[in-house]
Amino acid sequence: MGRKLEAYEGIVGTAVIRQLRQLGDKLAGKRVVHVNSTREGGGVAEILAWMVPLMEDLGLDARWEVITGSGDFFSVTKSIHNGLQGFPLTISSAGWQTYQDVNAVNFERMRPLLEDADVVIIHDPQPAPLLNLCSDRKGKWIWRGHIDISHPFRPTWKALKNFIVGYDASIFSMCQFAKTLPHQQFLIAPSIDPLSDKNCDLDIHELEEVRARFGLDPTRPLVVQISRFDRFKDPIGVIEAYRLVRRVIPVQLVLAGGGATDDPEGKAMLNDVLEAAAGDPDIHVLLLPPDAHRTINALQRLADVVIQKSTREGFGLTVTEGLWKGKPVIGGDVGGIRSQVVNYHTGFLVNTPEGAAHRIRFLLHHAELRNNMGMKAQEYVREHFLLTRHLREYLTLFHQLLSKREEKMFYV
Amino acid sequence: MKPFHVSDCTLLTNMSGLPVAVNLRELRDRIAICSADVLYHHFCETPLVPFFDNPDYRNDFAVWAKLHLNDRVLAERLGIIDPYLFADIEILRSQVLDIIDERLSEVQVVPTALSGSEFYFLEATTVVFDTGNVIEHPTGLRNAILNMTNSSIYFHFLEAKRRPPVCIDDFSAWLADWGSDFEPYIQALRSIDLMFLSLAELKNELTTVVAMQGE
Repeated sequence: MGRKLEAYEGIVGTAVIRQLRQLGDKLAGKRVVHVNSTREGGGVAEILAWMVPLMEDLGLDARWEVITGSGDFFSVTKSIHNGLQGFPLTISSAGWQTYQDVNAVNFERMRPLLEDADVVIIHDPQPAPLLNLCSDRKGKWIWRGHIDISHPFRPTWKALKNFIVGYDASIFSMCQFAKTLPHQQFLIAPSIDPLSDKNCDLDIHELEEVRARFGLDPTRPLVVQISRFDRFKDPIGVIEAYRLVRRVIPVQLVLAGGGATDDPEGKAMLNDVLEAAAGDPDIHVLLLPPDAHRTINALQRLADVVIQKSTREGFGLTVTEGLWKGKPVIGGDVGGIRSQVVNYHTGFLVNTPEGAAHRIRFLLHHAELRNNMGMKAQEYVREHFLLTRHLREYLTLFHQLLSKREEKMFYV
Repeated sequence: MKPFHVSDCTLLTNMSGLPVAVNLRELRDRIAICSADVLYHHFCETPLVPFFDNPDYRNDFAVWAKLHLNDRVLAERLGIIDPYLFADIEILRSQVLDIIDERLSEVQVVPTALSGSEFYFLEATTVVFDTGNVIEHPTGLRNAILNMTNSSIYFHFLEAKRRPPVCIDDFSAWLADWGSDFEPYIQALRSIDLMFLSLAELKNELTTVVAMQGE
């Protein structure tokens, strides 16, 4: 059961909630369907878990559908995902056929819902072929790309583009991710839910329980990276940075992440990380279950410094989470991390393990500055990266698409 | 006298379709041909889009010149431009082009951004809606402003200057109908220096100056 909008009033203010209700009133009853490929694990599922109930609370008839598929299907979609992020992986024609076949099976299951919807939002590449299968569609179809596709492996993008060009619009998290397409491309940054288990306030007892559970020493500094075990999150680079810091500061490192049902590569990466960390009791590699949100929340709150040393990144919601908890974040100088981490204000952007080590040491030596940056970071997230702003932009998009207005400014 | 109907607006940014600019010459060429909406977005809609709240400059061109072209001279010249002083956006465009042309004539090498730091030309759609709130008399203006969203403030005080009567905000236009008693309110609103205020700060400033006139 999702929360009501009013639950957020204490965090964002009355005016923001009233504005959402006014925007939503004029969309009451509109049928909106979101489709993605997993209900658990990863930022997209987390966004949809709050967004769909809040759209319903605003009076929209909002649904969340998940496509299902075989291991082969998810291997192909993982290859597409990696290809879009620039990793050169050739996908066979049989692979592309599996991609379309599995979507065709899913389409038959969802057909009535998709045909009748006023707005359909297809998240990421996995369900992208659904549009071409839905020839009797009535509504507007939007493709929402969540990942950084600024420098894709060209054959992968060229093939995927055939499934995207027919959409009425697309949404990207940042302008750098947008591609040349024959329809309008909107920019909507993702967001976090400040009341979710992953972001809500926790009492000190719960924090201490998590600290004890993982054997973390309360007297020594803690650096935490939360993310899937994925090559683009560079967990090995984080270990290298930790080792450079460790020469002078007795720091502890937590690398914690869950698996996602659409990520078959995660296990191999986890093994590489375990091998790199072997023999060091101060590196805590934690494979957490998908519902370990409060544990992740606690680890971020226990951290002295949060790190997200990605080499490719969509938006980087783990960065947003760290900032919301009042922690300066050391982030890779890529993707959406650039919009969130501002040097000397909310954290530091880095490009190498050496750079990360340098900034970890700097922050650990400047406790007062660290606290001030943390406070500024939380306010920055409150203003720009909470779910209320995100929801407002979706409602604005629905108004624009459904009103069929082309003026720069119009009244509803 | 007519009451003041409080509106609100939301903004959605989209790609303009123009190619990115990699260097100052390309920036100049794109500014010369971009739509007025693109120019307006990068000069005037910046307070409504997610951006760190403590930038050196308020328009995107000046910020890019500083951060990515490493041209602080150009950034300073562009950064001081107040877009709300221009009744016609084409005059603003001419001034920007003039500044860039002058800079291009001064430099030996065309300033160029690194890969990944190109300038993206954006624009935005604005959806406006009636909040249902009404201000019956100027004495209620302060409390009404206090209850407005930041985007209402943007719509009535900043965006309004683009609509006829141009260069006049909605509050001042409304107050003018109430006669000379409220002329000091209009003067006070006119005295606000917008350049360095976020929308939240602008809201505070508006309530302060309106309250001072009511004392």
